[in-house]
Amino acid sequence: MKATRLPPHVMLLLPAVIVLAAVVVLPLLLSLWSSFTPFRLTRPDSIYNFVGLRNYERIFIDTDFWIAFGRTVLLLTVALNLEMLLGLGLALLVDRQTRGQRALRTILMFPMMFSPILVGFQFKFMFNDNVGLINNALQSLGVTDQAIPWLIDGALAFTAITAAEVWSSTAVFAIFILAGLMAMPREPQEAARVDGCTPWQTFRYVTWPFLMPFAFIAMTIRSLDVARAYDIIKIMTDGGPAGRTEVLWTLIARTAYSDARMGLANAMAYVAILLSVAFTAFFFSQLGKARAQVAGDW
Amino acid sequence: MDANKTARVRKRASAWALNVTLFIAMAIICLPGLWIVLNSLRPTVEIMAKPPIWIPRELSLQAYVDMFSGVGQGGIPVLEYFRNSVIIAVTSTVISLAVGMSGGYAFARYRFRAKSGWFLGLMLTRTVPGIALSLPLFFLYARVGLIDTHAGMILAYTALNVPFTIWLIDGFFRQVPRDLAEAAQIDGCTRWQAFWQVEFPLARPGIASAGIFAFLTSWNEFALASQLTRSTDSKTLPVGLLDYTAEFTIDWRGMCALAVVMIIPALLLTYAVQKHLVSGLTSGAIKG
Amino acid sequence: MKLLTTVSSAALALASVAAAQDLPGSFEGVTIEAKLIGGQQYEPLYARIAEWEEATGATVDVISKKNHFELDREIKSDIAIGQLDWCVGSNHSSFAPQYPGIYVDLRDYLPEEALSDFVPGNIESATLNDRLVMLPRAQFDVSALYYQKSLYEDEDNKTAFEEEYGYPLAVPDTWDQVADQAKFFADAPNFYGTQYAGKEEAIAGRFYEILVANGGEFLNEDGEPAFNSEAGVEALNWFVDLYQAEAVPAGVPNYLWDDLGQGFASGTVALNLDWPGWAGFFNDPDSSKVAGDVGVAPPPKGSAGVRSGWSGFHGFSVTEDCANPEAAASLVWFLTNADSQKLESAAGPLPSRQSVWDHVIAEAEGDAYRTDVLETFQVAAEGAFPVPQTPAWIEITNVLYPELQAAILGDATPQEALDTAAEEATYVLEDAGEL
Repeated sequence: MKATRLPPHVMLLLPAVIVLAAVVVLPLLLSLWSSFTPFRLTRPDSIYNFVGLRNYERIFIDTDFWIAFGRTVLLLTVALNLEMLLGLGLALLVDRQTRGQRALRTILMFPMMFSPILVGFQFKFMFNDNVGLINNALQSLGVTDQAIPWLIDGALAFTAITAAEVWSSTAVFAIFILAGLMAMPREPQEAARVDGCTPWQTFRYVTWPFLMPFAFIAMTIRSLDVARAYDIIKIMTDGGPAGRTEVLWTLIARTAYSDARMGLANAMAYVAILLSVAFTAFFFSQLGKARAQVAGDW
Repeated sequence: MDANKTARVRKRASAWALNVTLFIAMAIICLPGLWIVLNSLRPTVEIMAKPPIWIPRELSLQAYVDMFSGVGQGGIPVLEYFRNSVIIAVTSTVISLAVGMSGGYAFARYRFRAKSGWFLGLMLTRTVPGIALSLPLFFLYARVGLIDTHAGMILAYTALNVPFTIWLIDGFFRQVPRDLAEAAQIDGCTRWQAFWQVEFPLARPGIASAGIFAFLTSWNEFALASQLTRSTDSKTLPVGLLDYTAEFTIDWRGMCALAVVMIIPALLLTYAVQKHLVSGLTSGAIKG
Repeated sequence: MKLLTTVSSAALALASVAAAQDLPGSFEGVTIEAKLIGGQQYEPLYARIAEWEEATGATVDVISKKNHFELDREIKSDIAIGQLDWCVGSNHSSFAPQYPGIYVDLRDYLPEEALSDFVPGNIESATLNDRLVMLPRAQFDVSALYYQKSLYEDEDNKTAFEEEYGYPLAVPDTWDQVADQAKFFADAPNFYGTQYAGKEEAIAGRFYEILVANGGEFLNEDGEPAFNSEAGVEALNWFVDLYQAEAVPAGVPNYLWDDLGQGFASGTVALNLDWPGWAGFFNDPDSSKVAGDVGVAPPPKGSAGVRSGWSGFHGFSVTEDCANPEAAASLVWFLTNADSQKLESAAGPLPSRQSVWDHVIAEAEGDAYRTDVLETFQVAAEGAFPVPQTPAWIEITNVLYPELQAAILGDATPQEALDTAAEEATYVLEDAGEL
């Protein structure tokens, strides 16, 4: 049994490394190569035609791409922050309930059971300007007599997409923060109250620092799979109209499959991956800091 | 006396206001879902009505009857999709838990070079968007014959879930005191026995919460599935939703009915394990 | 009376078809792999595959079933990895030019008399570079104008309209009349004059057909983009004008076909240029509020007196790498033969065989609405034309539609928008090596 002479941690990590290498790293190397070629799906031979950095040069001077890039960053920032705030609020509300916790928590996770593609269809129909649920409700309640073009106006469409995204993903934050609240020792809060702190002060200086690692872990997890939002946006607007809601993922998908220009699309995808990596690494370092603080305090 | 009374009234009023807020928040969370359920029971003419019809005039299970009535008679192969989804989601969850437990244990219990680098590296594999991964993965799968197979989908979803399961389970093992396992070993257990009899039971909530996240991800994934599955041999429920779209038409009622079929198992499972879920997330966050 | 002449000519055709009914042949032990378009509307036909298996001794293995767009993606992916040894694939006339050379010329495997019953226009559209790459099934699509009949019978409407526009109110026959009447009927946000699909290939196609109806060209003789002509601006102005007059729902730039169908069925739209697949849906009280009040008219004419007629159809192709092309061709023919088309068109879709056209019209006797629908679509089919037959069509629509939207929303003038799109389309064609 010579093979077992490998150190145990290598043995233990091997399965994870093999699976990820096969399913993620290897394909990425392939797409890295193709990003240096003018590869078109419908012309398979073009994958052997090396053109160096031409695809990347094209991207750098493509304003549409950078606008989409900026919009993606904006969407992520707005959506993630909103989700965290709402998630925090929800968790606090649920935590103070003494009865029906089980049901409440299940309801809280309800949106997580919806496939993103379904969320896309659902919100597209709800935000339809003519027969959609939202406009019907607003008109019935007399809030407006206009047909609000939710998915047309740039800002409104951005709002609608953010709403769909927030609806489907706030649950992740709420659940993590709730976990934090339940794990939190009660004595420091009691002590703060006895010392005459207002509820806000108690929250700000006692509760929140304890919850921060939970918020950041949720943040990190969400930034890992934000690209799920692609399914939602794809169905709701597919980047339109007139490119007003174009984000990196819709642009990449259209370039890759509809235009069949895989080489260029893979170059774009690399930029998108770097963006995700940056977001994740940032939250990860924040998480480290918050943990260090909690560990120091308690 | 009076001051006390006002304080009590104020407290009760604010408690009441918070309850109302909670109720509204829960309603906002539920409404889009209930709307889907309702849509699956109403004729299309009512769903897309203008002026809107708020109170359903007739409810019927016709969409469900149609769905199960067989391909060619307005049905879709829902049983096959359901079977595929269950096999793929359950197997990949189990495997990613096993792989995650082994990886998480390594991070929690051993010291080795560049440990945090390896950890971050494993996490970052999850940042690759499905849309960027789908074609190159398809290339590889086509070479080895994994297209349109359960095995291929299970492998892909395992890779999708492993980073997250390692993270959660790692945090949980850290929380289990090292001495416990060591004590067990002194008592004559092998390390393997010590793991299963001492450490594993204590880490169970963490494993449950990692499991539910992994299951929901696999159950709902679309981007990879649409590229890697082709026929009833492996198509999953989210891909099956598109059976209700044709070139020019979309059967929203049918789609809603299938959505309900998709959501129910996920809901039951979540309800069953949600107690572990919340406590399971706890330690992952603090210890890292 | 046009109808009657077609009936008699088809009766003659029927005689020769009867001989070809036997085509299947014997392919004992052969397995044919097939990639078929999925979806409720397309499924009933596949039940007939068992009959073909029985007749020939071959077996069919359906290795993929997906919707239109997903299947397109899959076939492109297959081309990329060179895995094209499956035999039979669903195809579509708008997508076919993108797959150059992967499908055989079916004329090499099928006798001429086996093809004689197909509508000549359809066969022509299925022929790329002199190769018959697909046989059309009974899923032929061309648009017609659906309208709410009662609006045109209302006396108040008639008087008011004539007063305002100076000609009597009648179902429109030109795009200008559609615009006038759409504005006349519109009462946003409760009621709209008309609507159009506002994104992707859908709006590019609608623009293309009005362009042609106005006498313009999409690509000129040298294959260069030519849609930024006067006729193009006039066509785009039609869309812009209606949007700005609020005669169409404010959401149209994000509408696709399903939104249009649902909108008309909700009873809030007066006129709707749409596909034959909706005819049954619109007149069914379970799905539509306008059931019983639906009229159908041929697609309107443009300023050049040409009828709009952007059309497409589904069909089946046989791959070049197929090991048994004879068996595959036999299956393709069987799935598009008269019995198959009768089966499919019984549910509403339009056939692509002359004998089946006559059959469905005869079947519809006594059903005034169905007869009306079929006669109208037959007129529409006569003026039908496919998309420009360049592999870059879909790619060009992807650069064109955001510019069309920009003009509609007022971000650019029609001329500017079309010039930008033409420039980008030129790059696309250059990159693809077609210019």
